[in-house]
Amino acid sequence: MWLCIAVFLLWMRSGGCSEKANTSELIEYTAADFYEKLHSGKMMFIYFEHHVSPTISLFLVELEKSADALQDYGVLVGKVNCNKELVQAYCTEERERHTAFLFRAGKEFLGFDLDTVFDVNSIVSEVLFAILREEVKYVHTDTDLLAMEKAARGKKDIVLGYVRSLGTQEHRSMMETAYVYGSKYQFILITGGPVLKHLGVDELSHSSQVWFLHCRAHSGLTTSLSSERCPLTRMRKPLSTLSLHSFLQLMEAPLVSEVYDDPSSVQPPQFPYQLTPQVFLFSRPATKQQDLDTATTLAWRLRGLALLVLVHRQSPAVKTSGEYNAAYRLPEKSSEVKYLTLHDHDEVLELFTNQEEEDEEEDEGWLEDEEVDSHFTKLDDEIAASVYENRGNFPDMDSITQLTSDNFHTAVTQSSLTVALFYLKWDAVSMAFLNSFIEVSERLADSEVQMSTVDCGEWTDLCAAQPGRSLPIPFQPITAFPSVLLLRPQESARHYRGMLGSEALHRFIMLSHPDSPVLLSTKEEVTSFLQEVPHPELAGYNPDRVLGLFKTQAHAGVPLFTEAAKSLRGEVLTALLTHGLAEKWAGEHAVVLPAVLVFPSWRTRTPPSTLPVSTSAEELLSHIHSALLHPLPELTVENLPSFLSLGKALLLLFVGEEEDEIGRRQNQALVEEMRGVVELGGVRMQRYLACWIHLGRTPAGMSVLGAYLGSMPPLPALVLSHLPSGCEIYQYPPNTPILASSVLQWLQRIEDGAESAAGMLGEDSWPPAVEFLDFLKIMDMQEPDSAQQQTPEEEEEEEEEEEGNKEEDEVVEKAADSSRSSPDNNPHSEL
Amino acid sequence: MDSNLPCFILFILIGCVKCSSDNHHHNGTRRYDYCVLGAGPAGLQMGYFLSKAKRDYIILERNSGPGSFFNKYPRHRKLISINKIHTGRQNREFNLRHDWNSLLSDRPDLLLKRVSTEFYPPADAFPLYLSMFVKELGLKVRYGVDIGMIRAVQSASGRSYILTDQHAADYTCSVLLVATGLWVPQKVQFVGSDLVEGYESISTNPEDYKDQAVLILGKGNSAFETAQSILGRASQVHMLSSSPVRLAWQTHYVGDLRAVNNELIDTYQLKSLDGLAEARLDKIGITQRKEQGGRRLGAQKKGQFYLTLKKYTQHQEKKNSSDVTGEEMPGYHIDNFSMRKPYDRVIRCLGFRFNFSVFDSSACPPNSDNAKGRLPGVTAWYEGINISGLFVLGTAAHSRDYRSSAGGFVHGFRYTARAVHRVLEQRYHSNRWPSTKLLITQLQSWILKRLGEASGPYQMFEVLGDVILLRGSHCEYVEEFTLQALPQFSSLSGHEVSNHGLIVLVMQYGHNKIDYLGWTRAETDWTKAWKSNFLHPVLYYYDKLPTEEEMKLRPHGWPLPRPKAIHHMVEDFLAEWETPISHIQPLRRFLEHCVQTDLRAFYAESCFRSSLSHRKPPLFCQQGYLKQQGVVHNSQLWQHVHDAGLMPTEQDAGTSGADPAFPNYLAQAGASMSSGLKLDF
Repeated sequence: MWLCIAVFLLWMRSGGCSEKANTSELIEYTAADFYEKLHSGKMMFIYFEHHVSPTISLFLVELEKSADALQDYGVLVGKVNCNKELVQAYCTEERERHTAFLFRAGKEFLGFDLDTVFDVNSIVSEVLFAILREEVKYVHTDTDLLAMEKAARGKKDIVLGYVRSLGTQEHRSMMETAYVYGSKYQFILITGGPVLKHLGVDELSHSSQVWFLHCRAHSGLTTSLSSERCPLTRMRKPLSTLSLHSFLQLMEAPLVSEVYDDPSSVQPPQFPYQLTPQVFLFSRPATKQQDLDTATTLAWRLRGLALLVLVHRQSPAVKTSGEYNAAYRLPEKSSEVKYLTLHDHDEVLELFTNQEEEDEEEDEGWLEDEEVDSHFTKLDDEIAASVYENRGNFPDMDSITQLTSDNFHTAVTQSSLTVALFYLKWDAVSMAFLNSFIEVSERLADSEVQMSTVDCGEWTDLCAAQPGRSLPIPFQPITAFPSVLLLRPQESARHYRGMLGSEALHRFIMLSHPDSPVLLSTKEEVTSFLQEVPHPELAGYNPDRVLGLFKTQAHAGVPLFTEAAKSLRGEVLTALLTHGLAEKWAGEHAVVLPAVLVFPSWRTRTPPSTLPVSTSAEELLSHIHSALLHPLPELTVENLPSFLSLGKALLLLFVGEEEDEIGRRQNQALVEEMRGVVELGGVRMQRYLACWIHLGRTPAGMSVLGAYLGSMPPLPALVLSHLPSGCEIYQYPPNTPILASSVLQWLQRIEDGAESAAGMLGEDSWPPAVEFLDFLKIMDMQEPDSAQQQTPEEEEEEEEEEEGNKEEDEVVEKAADSSRSSPDNNPHSEL
Repeated sequence: MDSNLPCFILFILIGCVKCSSDNHHHNGTRRYDYCVLGAGPAGLQMGYFLSKAKRDYIILERNSGPGSFFNKYPRHRKLISINKIHTGRQNREFNLRHDWNSLLSDRPDLLLKRVSTEFYPPADAFPLYLSMFVKELGLKVRYGVDIGMIRAVQSASGRSYILTDQHAADYTCSVLLVATGLWVPQKVQFVGSDLVEGYESISTNPEDYKDQAVLILGKGNSAFETAQSILGRASQVHMLSSSPVRLAWQTHYVGDLRAVNNELIDTYQLKSLDGLAEARLDKIGITQRKEQGGRRLGAQKKGQFYLTLKKYTQHQEKKNSSDVTGEEMPGYHIDNFSMRKPYDRVIRCLGFRFNFSVFDSSACPPNSDNAKGRLPGVTAWYEGINISGLFVLGTAAHSRDYRSSAGGFVHGFRYTARAVHRVLEQRYHSNRWPSTKLLITQLQSWILKRLGEASGPYQMFEVLGDVILLRGSHCEYVEEFTLQALPQFSSLSGHEVSNHGLIVLVMQYGHNKIDYLGWTRAETDWTKAWKSNFLHPVLYYYDKLPTEEEMKLRPHGWPLPRPKAIHHMVEDFLAEWETPISHIQPLRRFLEHCVQTDLRAFYAESCFRSSLSHRKPPLFCQQGYLKQQGVVHNSQLWQHVHDAGLMPTEQDAGTSGADPAFPNYLAQAGASMSSGLKLDF
């Protein structure tokens, strides 16, 4: 978690790895200072700095900001630079690197993991929370709360705060207030629990809340509430230090004040209540007690919303006409008094609660809107977003032939190889790939390969493979976009099924150049096939090769091999060798004819794999494919799918990027050790795929490792994941040397259930990332009946109504005179 | 065979009345699987589909050429269906949205534009086009066969229809497709209804109306077309019908008054001598003043007609004549009765009705509930109600969408004919409706493709819609199903609905009355898309097929019952629903809701991460990356993503050596979070 947040912040600042945060303002204590302050008994919040990583430096920035805030509460904030000063234990132990410490009364009071104190709000709230540990209580159930109320009865009022999570601004506000008012009120902080039900809060509600429980004076008042419980008032404003402060002050205001003046001459509320409305009720001598009771009851309900003033009518100063029985004054604008005739006191209540609620709604609505707005206006699909970001640049299609229903056949006939990209311009993946496609076409500009595109939004019949006039279309309807087809005159099209990127496509096109299989007839050709790349463009690339050896062209295996070779075209170089040359070659290499030899690109020194000639091309293909797989692969973004498809558990070694030759050799040794595991394990290892990821070449592996273990372990790290039996991830003990034998023992322990999992694979269900905008719900809200099914009666009524209208005799008369025709007949009449 | 005897009886009963004595080829009957009655646009359209499916069919036409209705109508010889040749697009399907005359075929050039390049083509062009259609596609049409009697017989092999022509020759058909159109002039009975001329027979020479006061009964396009042609000659033109003028550009119904015909509105509103009035036609009377004592009244010309109201003439029931006295005139009762002056001509332009008279009771569809009963009542799949095996095509099938969609017009019924043909293929030949199997991750693009070009749902809005059958990781896309028949979807289409449910894609107009040219006429905010007024796509998601009852009780004005979830795609000025933020992303989120899975696309690197950190990566990665077709970020785009902070920062190979590896890992982890990948830390 801390990792995430820290990095998130890091990213927010877009500082990158090299930028160092400016931490100079933070008080840096020398060891001597530190000890002096410590022994003086001061409260101190100190971080012992060992090594400034970007994350740490970010924390230091936040720490510095919190210094100001915590100063108000008598807490000194600072750091000790362990590189210059040595404070025993704190500067030497490894675990202290992710911890900041609070000192109190000359000793360590509490250590905070950096994942709980990561910004000003969390630092201030957590530190104050620690300091006020004794004062601020926690309740879980309603019974807990009742006990607290009983204890507080007649002594203290209770302030109960509910915050969704700790370390937030709301939490900080509660703590700051508790620090100030701690002696006056009993503070309770909750983050959930059954007690919420008693308070009438839905635990799913996102907003923090505060209640004031009137326990101190409550016995003396007549209220309708059960005498067991302290009456409570909910703070209606969103929780902040300021709002909480003014709320608490309002709770101190007299419940009902009595005056003998006319409301218009009563002073508006004075500090600190100047922002609170006043409500006036009137009292007559005859009903004095009754009036007071009514006022008190109402005042309880208005508590926190408005101040209640009871006006004694018998006073000659009171001028208010007898027809009114209430009045109010709002704080803003003029201090004008508005008079009312109430039938029910709820009306007053409504007046203020509604207003509050409206305000609240507005506020919340606004906040929500902002959040929702970003959902609405920001693309959350990384490919769509990258294409969208690039929308100002139109792709340069000069190097590309645009195929249409009209020119398709001519264009395909004219070139020995046409590579056609079928795309839809609203499909982000198509458009992202189009750029790569253009890159390839530019590289191939001088070759005989014709790079072309088909806009399937326009040439819909071509993409649907509907023959326009006469010639058949050499492919099936395209139903997935983007699709790349390789078209050769008089041949049916071949789908490109590789990565949608320029490198992979380019390589595929280049490797498709030679025939597949190539018919070899001389020794030189054999050598050239095995040692050279077919195109200078491919220099440096080492392709996989497959060689078929048959006695004669007429051998039954030849068509099979040829078919397999055809479908390998572009991925693997294939060649066919027959007759005497084949026999000679076989003899030299101790191979029995017929044979298929596979030369995987990764195998340099060892002899090729020899495969028997299978009974079907599919079988041969799958043999070839598995022979091409590396037994101890380095997993990359590109090759992972072919290994995952084996369905084996992954024994996965993560190695870091080497800084030097020594590192490189170390990594190499590790991989060798893994090879040892495979060899030593023998059959037992067959259910595992031993593999490794080089985090320098495949940086995406880093977050995988983070996801596996929850944090970044020291490298190298060996984990076991993707067990067919479950989601558990096991980590090989981090500080144990990776040795073949101990790895096998570790695997055995896992099989025996003697190891506990270090992490879990994520769920395989991927629910939508963002909820859709439910128009049905909106319609139900804004036009309640419009989206509802009709009831059977309604339907009949409607029909009758229509009929009825027509039967109106009146219509005739009226209608006979157009100039008098009723306007509702024609909503468009604007004359 | 056994049908000879009833045939012979039939011949005796009606043969002598209907037919000439010529019966030389009355030897046995001709048998067909499919008989199409009428070689108009609907009949030929069906003929094309039957021919393409290589079915045993015949098109019977009483006239000597196809589309004979258009040889006479519209009387003023200008079609008002648009023939837009230049759309700036090459997409044939899209171009059909703006070609309201051509029929569907697989010949890209078999379009009306070959016959006429005019935006509103001359009427003669249409039969010409239809002849071309018949000829080039080799459709089997038998001309000169005037079917006078149609009856159904039940035999062991099932129900069949026997059609008898003017020569008493019989045609026996397993399935009868009635595409006879509407050509019987619609008339209303009122006092003096015999005094009015009909649209079918009026003079089309404006000179014949010189200085005449003309009253036209009706306010449809034929009435206005007539009015427009005589506007320059007649002294005044008044138009009368029961309801006020409905303008097609307001109602979005092409059968309402088209702007091409509405000059009279102008002269009326600018207070020239023309006018519009409303009255129910069965409550009026057209009368001539009785000559009193043989005297001619002042300047009144002979043969002039007065409009009166039935209630003033009612006490004179004994009298059958339309001559009335002064007291019977409304002007006598109402001082400023608007139509108090006489007319020289009264013309009836009330449209046409279906010819029910050729159907025996065994084969006669009921009158429709709407359209004043002028049309045959048909099911949602255009089969006669209670008349199985008889389907109604073309204009006559308009009762399903009367006054709401385009089913009464060529550009609408060409698609319903296709739908009916698909019903036939499934029912009689067990050929399921054509469908396209798509990966769920391709569904969004496919929907957008259909929205960008499909002409069927666009023309037959709220009547035909695409049905998407969800099947987990893939779906079946069935085009242009008749929406009202959704409860019977499985039996009609042959496709089962799985427990994943289905989505129906419909084009809809808004139904709120608005100021059609006012400031607020269009909605541009996608979050308020359900308030769109113009044609826009709406998607309905159901977890199972709605029942007939639910269909019947659907919310007022809706084409379909209340779904589990609905999505409106905000109307678009260009009618192109393909903008990333307003159209595509909201659509994707709706689809995600329907299939309950993340449908976002990811680059290979993200797929790599989620494939390793989860049991299964998101669907897009499963269907692309894991099949070795990951999307590699293009260097150019990559920069943008990087800048936008959506993706992990790529490590610079050069700098990474300088720092210990630790911070690099962090950068990776954090970026993956910001890219939306959920890592369970």
